[in-house]
Amino acid sequence: MSETPETPQKFVVPIGPQHPALKEPGHFEFSVDGEIVTGASVRLGYVHRGIEKGAENRNYAQAMYLMERVCGICSHVHATAFALGTEKLAGVTAPARAQAIRTIVAELERLHSHMLWLGVAAHEGGFDTLFMYSWRDRETVMDLLEAITGNRVNYSVNLLGGVKVDITPELADQIRKGLDFLEERNQHYLKVVTTDETFLGRTQGVGTMTKEQAFLTGAVGPTARASGVEIDIRVHAPYAGYPDFPVNLVIDTAGDLLARFVVRIKEMQESCRLIRHILDHMPETELTVRMPRRIPAGETISRVEAPRGELFYFIKSNGTDQPERVKVRTPTLCNWGSVINFAPGHKLADMPMILAGIDPCFSCNDRLISIRRNEQDPQLWSWEDLRQYGVQYYK
Amino acid sequence: MTIGAMIGDILRSLFKKPITERYPFERKPAPERLRGKLHYDPEKCTGCMLCMKDCPANAIEILTVDRAAKKFVMRFHTDRCTYCAQCVQNCRFNCLGMESEEYELAALSREPFVVYYGREEDVQFILDRAAQENPDGTDPCQPPAAA
Repeated sequence: MSETPETPQKFVVPIGPQHPALKEPGHFEFSVDGEIVTGASVRLGYVHRGIEKGAENRNYAQAMYLMERVCGICSHVHATAFALGTEKLAGVTAPARAQAIRTIVAELERLHSHMLWLGVAAHEGGFDTLFMYSWRDRETVMDLLEAITGNRVNYSVNLLGGVKVDITPELADQIRKGLDFLEERNQHYLKVVTTDETFLGRTQGVGTMTKEQAFLTGAVGPTARASGVEIDIRVHAPYAGYPDFPVNLVIDTAGDLLARFVVRIKEMQESCRLIRHILDHMPETELTVRMPRRIPAGETISRVEAPRGELFYFIKSNGTDQPERVKVRTPTLCNWGSVINFAPGHKLADMPMILAGIDPCFSCNDRLISIRRNEQDPQLWSWEDLRQYGVQYYK
Repeated sequence: MTIGAMIGDILRSLFKKPITERYPFERKPAPERLRGKLHYDPEKCTGCMLCMKDCPANAIEILTVDRAAKKFVMRFHTDRCTYCAQCVQNCRFNCLGMESEEYELAALSREPFVVYYGREEDVQFILDRAAQENPDGTDPCQPPAAA
């Protein structure tokens, strides 16, 4: 804790980059007046991995697997966004069955991501029972994903121009059985978060964001939908299997933490309904189409709805088999503005829950670091300085 | 409004057996589609090198012994492989496959991570050639020792 000399009453509480409450590195500074937070700032960039640059040195197939590793929770949507963008550039459309399988895996992934979030957010609020049980039930959907794809995290379902795996009738039955259990549990969790008095004390009226604020700060995904903003790429710009299998928009108007719980749990129920609907009406087509190795020159954008909100890809091709530029914008980056804006006025103890409320994914959103400092700053090193330092160090 | 909305779950769990799996003493069967260690059938390989070109981790090296006689050896790096199965998809001659049984691939040294697949005499030929090129016996896959 440090005291700034100009304003003796103002304390700044730094949290991070390494902190027990944070799962990933990020730096937050909360200025507090007693227990009440009066200002908040966030500093990111601790887990920048240079993925966009890495994609420029790989061919499209290799880059897709690299993109799948942007996020460990929503790996499939990244590969889908990249594959859809590349297919658009090449003028190829994946067959209907492949699109349906992409959609099923995306919805299962949404289920597992939201259940993970439910656990993490409950844990931040001190409700560890809910955390343990929701993570136990999450194993069901993880097992389903493992049965369909062969892996629990990086599913590698997508190919450029289709998918690798098929969903057989036996697998479909297994999925339906898993969904029965999940639907029942989600109904139970919805009841728990809306009725448990102790937990409501932590969520109701905390971190409230109005519809106008959500618009102004550019919130996306369930965070925006909990404030009544009707924004969902699956509904407004359908991709993959969503044009054939429409999804219902889930919104809530309260805008507080409780609304974010309710929206996400209801979204899980909607995902279950959608998966069942697709399984009952699976198109009978091939799984892949032929994809050219060299992608025609051009640029495109590709938007998909990740579990956390809108995921945006920009792909530029120069006619070779390697992308010239790939730009990724993940939903967490859009949601930081909203956290910083609605944090003031709350107790410091509410900060972990408010931060967790947007379902942040730190390493996903670290893209580029731009340092705005004086050239003479001794802390600022150029590439040449670093090189010289390295040469001297190893001499 | 209730207090302790999950007390029912806790009480029910009190009378259930622990869910912990006693791995490695008891092994659950691997899922059917698990992508385990890569296998290569040298008889079917035509040396198109598509598996090598699209490998995102540079885990596959197809070494040519005799192109005309279609003799190839695959050097596979299990430690680099990300098990995405893109190579299996690329192979039009079905000479690649990922087995669901072999997935416990951890080792205490780096040697077991380099696997050679091919006809016995071809592998020997490749190893002899590597030994000739490196007479001091250093592994070509290891980074050079500091001078």
